Amino acid sequence: MTTTLIETPRTSVAVAASMRGGTKTYGHGDAEVRALDGIDVDVATGEFTAIMGPSGSGKSTLLHTLAGLDRLTAGQSWIGDQELSRLSEDKITQVRRDKIGFVFQAFNLIPSLSARENITLPLDISGRRVEQAWFDEVIGILGLGDRLTHLPAELSGGQQQRVAVARALVARPELIFADEPSGNLDSRSGGELLAFMRRAVTDFGQTIAMVTHDPTAASFADRVLFLADGRIVDEMRDPTAELVLDRMKQMGH
Amino acid sequence: MFRLAVKSVKHNPKRLVLTAVAVALGVALAAATFTLTNALSGGFSKLFDEIYAGTDVIVEEAPDELGDSEDPFAATDAIFAHGDVDDVAAVDGVASAWGGRQVSGTVLAADFEPSNDVMAAGGAPSQIFNWAGDPRVDQATLIEGEGPASDDEIVLDVDAAPRLGYALGDTVSISTDIGVEEFTLVGLVRFGESNSLQGATLAYMTDARSAAINGDDGYDQISVIVEDGADASAVAEAIDEILPEGTRAITGEDKAAEQTAQFDEILQYIDIFAIAFALIALFVGAYIIVNTFRIIVTQRTREFGLLRAIGVSGRQLRTMILLEALVVAVVSATIGIVVGYLGALGLSVVVEALSGEIFGTVTLPIDAVVWGYVLGALVTIVAAIMPAIHASTISPMEALRESATESKKPLRLRNIVGGALTLLGVVAIVVGLYMGIEKPYIPVGAGAMILIIGVTLLAAQVLVPLAYALKAMLTRIFRVDGKLAANNIHREPRRSANTAAALMIGVMLLALVATFTESMKSLVTEQFQGNNADFFVFSAQGAIPEGALEVIEGEDGVAYVTSTGLGTVLLDGEATAVGVIDPDTAELAFDYNNEPDFDQMDGGAFIDPSMVDAGFEVGDELMLEGAEGTATLTVTGRYLNEGDAQVWVDEETGHALLGDYPIVQSMVVLDDGVDPEAAQDQLLDALAVDYPLLVLQSPGEFEQLANQFIDLLLGVISAMLGAALIIALLGVANTLLLSVTERTREIGLLRAVGVRRRSIRRMIRIESMVMAVFGTVLGMILGVGLGAALVRALEDFGFTTITVPWAWLALYTIAAAIAGVVAAWWPAHRAAKMDILEAIAFDG
Repeated sequence: MTTTLIETPRTSVAVAASMRGGTKTYGHGDAEVRALDGIDVDVATGEFTAIMGPSGSGKSTLLHTLAGLDRLTAGQSWIGDQELSRLSEDKITQVRRDKIGFVFQAFNLIPSLSARENITLPLDISGRRVEQAWFDEVIGILGLGDRLTHLPAELSGGQQQRVAVARALVARPELIFADEPSGNLDSRSGGELLAFMRRAVTDFGQTIAMVTHDPTAASFADRVLFLADGRIVDEMRDPTAELVLDRMKQMGH
Repeated sequence: MFRLAVKSVKHNPKRLVLTAVAVALGVALAAATFTLTNALSGGFSKLFDEIYAGTDVIVEEAPDELGDSEDPFAATDAIFAHGDVDDVAAVDGVASAWGGRQVSGTVLAADFEPSNDVMAAGGAPSQIFNWAGDPRVDQATLIEGEGPASDDEIVLDVDAAPRLGYALGDTVSISTDIGVEEFTLVGLVRFGESNSLQGATLAYMTDARSAAINGDDGYDQISVIVEDGADASAVAEAIDEILPEGTRAITGEDKAAEQTAQFDEILQYIDIFAIAFALIALFVGAYIIVNTFRIIVTQRTREFGLLRAIGVSGRQLRTMILLEALVVAVVSATIGIVVGYLGALGLSVVVEALSGEIFGTVTLPIDAVVWGYVLGALVTIVAAIMPAIHASTISPMEALRESATESKKPLRLRNIVGGALTLLGVVAIVVGLYMGIEKPYIPVGAGAMILIIGVTLLAAQVLVPLAYALKAMLTRIFRVDGKLAANNIHREPRRSANTAAALMIGVMLLALVATFTESMKSLVTEQFQGNNADFFVFSAQGAIPEGALEVIEGEDGVAYVTSTGLGTVLLDGEATAVGVIDPDTAELAFDYNNEPDFDQMDGGAFIDPSMVDAGFEVGDELMLEGAEGTATLTVTGRYLNEGDAQVWVDEETGHALLGDYPIVQSMVVLDDGVDPEAAQDQLLDALAVDYPLLVLQSPGEFEQLANQFIDLLLGVISAMLGAALIIALLGVANTLLLSVTERTREIGLLRAVGVRRRSIRRMIRIESMVMAVFGTVLGMILGVGLGAALVRALEDFGFTTITVPWAWLALYTIAAAIAGVVAAWWPAHRAAKMDILEAIAFDG
């Protein structure tokens, strides 16, 4: 397998993360599963990118490998202009710490820390100071002011996810990766959460890449990438829920 | 990171409680000992200060190369004549000099009855001196009545008189070397400031009477009071110049410091002994800590994965776990130190209530605090290292998984390391025991520890097939509960093995001690098989008086009495223990383990194995130098047991070397046909008149007595191991409790499909019992093995038979099974009362 095959030139300006020829396989021989099959993708800075696809399309694997949580079998990926496959585990950890924020579907928070401590955790780990004004602004927008001293177990699902978003935002990362952030929430809480994320992109220029299978969630994004069988099969700008749903139906979802 | 570690410990303290208790118990053991020995040291240092408080300079026998002070039977020699006292008094700066003499004897209680009981004949010692009448010399102040003016008068200390049942004017009996002497109590004295005598009885009589009892009018010490303004150390130096050789002058202050230092040295051994047991307890505790942290790491896999995802490095994660361990260590060590201190305080109150004031102020010494924290922190952190490393390898992807999953790693690496360690441990033990190296306990101790760890690692492998084998049996007996229990043991072989191993260590040590002590009993029994003596004579107060032996020999029906004496001589400048026997009769009374028999001594000397090791052999000439003279002897035979005396000589040589040597044991042989029981009563009656404290034991009684002492040794060591065993059981409970939490969903499912609470409880109990018995059996195998190796290594001390303590082993196994059920009580209760719906919804 050739790993240096670059089909599309990388435009280094205004790209927060990118991947060229990204391939990820699990297992060997007959049991080999090709989760990613030579993907080229760019996540533009200051944009809200949604990655959609049916189950098993490889969308989560794409997010994990882009974010440096998992390594590609072949191909290259970049965060900013750092090529991850060349980096040691420690260096990748550092990249995640300093440049990336995460919002997962569940289990986002450390159970023993209060909401405030969870939010400032990435800054505490890297020894950076909390910008109080920015912290207050984020907390204000997310409506968490009176919940800061609570432990995760004392928060509702929606509140927990908002704390996770706050954590991702407060550290001012170059890029936030979100994995089905509203997947465990009822539609109202989910809608609120996605609206906050939309605002972070529009008002503060935050870059966000989000994996989802929910067309409504995808409609909050600037751009939707459609994945099937480990390849990007289509993309859509300024989506609406109806358009996304139609596209998904075509894909047989 | 530190804050996160503290938060995490605080967030879920329950899972760390038992770990903390384990550490605290071990630390408490060490802290309590330090506190008690410190208080003892304080008490005795005060005593020594008071003994030498008034006296400015003490003139005494110099501690010489013969090492008299180390020989418990050595009588204080009367080395100063009256003239010496006068000479000292004439030295510049000396205000007065007084010759002091101690009388060896015991003040009998008013209601004393001879009892022929070795234990009863012991008790707190009596300190009897000649009365100077000067409180600075006597260190005692008359507070009631008068001092002893005539030879039949005596004074006692204020606490002893009521304790022994005497009032002023009563007749006081003292058992001395020349018989029971009687006095009239004429006064009461107070020792020092507060009469703190650590339980001893203090008595004073006139100078003349004390000389008569000792049979020597010399003095063993001269107390000097210097003139006002004179410097005590300058006077001491001046006295030193005129003194006879082998004596010295020392200031009272220095003497008190010297005695305190000597006493502290003894206490240090107690500290080391206690630390050894604390270490054993903590070593067992370490197993619990490993298990707890391993389980916690598994339970928190997703949390760690999340931390890794948001940028915490593996190293930071490792540090965090170790910090958590440190937090646990500091908290539990603090608790342990406080509990240890309070325990010591309580114990000191109890002991003082029983036996009078022997402790100084009970304070928490700095040693206890330092050792407590060092031991606690060291053990906890070392034990947490492996789980911490495991945590640091958790992939950030784990945060994204649905539930905590455990990866099943093969046991191969564990088996290889375990096998290698086991082998290494055995080699180290064998080298230590049989190679005759300088400090054998170092390789033996290290080897035992390595062996334990090795066996622990291998135990996981053993458990897998064992669980399969047990499954069929348990299923047949307990049906599905038994099957599930066997499955659980097999599912986490590492965890089960570590849990069982914690118990294994305690049981191993118990089995080792039991094997050793049972073999020791066999040794005693064997020695008595070749015994011909009808009675053994003992004195609980020290040496057996010559007069007492004359009394026995004078009785009808006694064929002869043969005695063993002990002393110290110089051989090539080295202090050497010498035993004195009568070659003609000794072998008739007792079948000594020697070659040839003692009757072949022929005026020469027998040597023991330590002398053979030093290069001496039969036919060599020995130049012995004693206090009274020298002798050149031919080695005519070997005494095959080590540890009794290095050189054996006959009585004539003994007297020539040592003069009057102390007799430590005598054997009585009766004429043929005399009834031993009647003879024992007859002899005791005869002795009661003048030597009521002597004890006459038949071989059966003596053997029983020896066995009692051995059992006492076993009891003391078992009690000290108690802490380790309790910790091990806590470990079983802890592991079960944590795994019940971990299996919440599974137990909920079992309940949902109709398994009854009773069955759940039983399942946990069976699991616990199997682990406990497994650990016990492993421990017994190791313990008996090590005990047998130890007995073999001590062959020189007379051990010939290795006795396996079957009765004890059976007892331990039953106790382990019961303990297993007890340990499972709380976890089983927790599992059974679980709410089904909550359990199924539980987020692992």
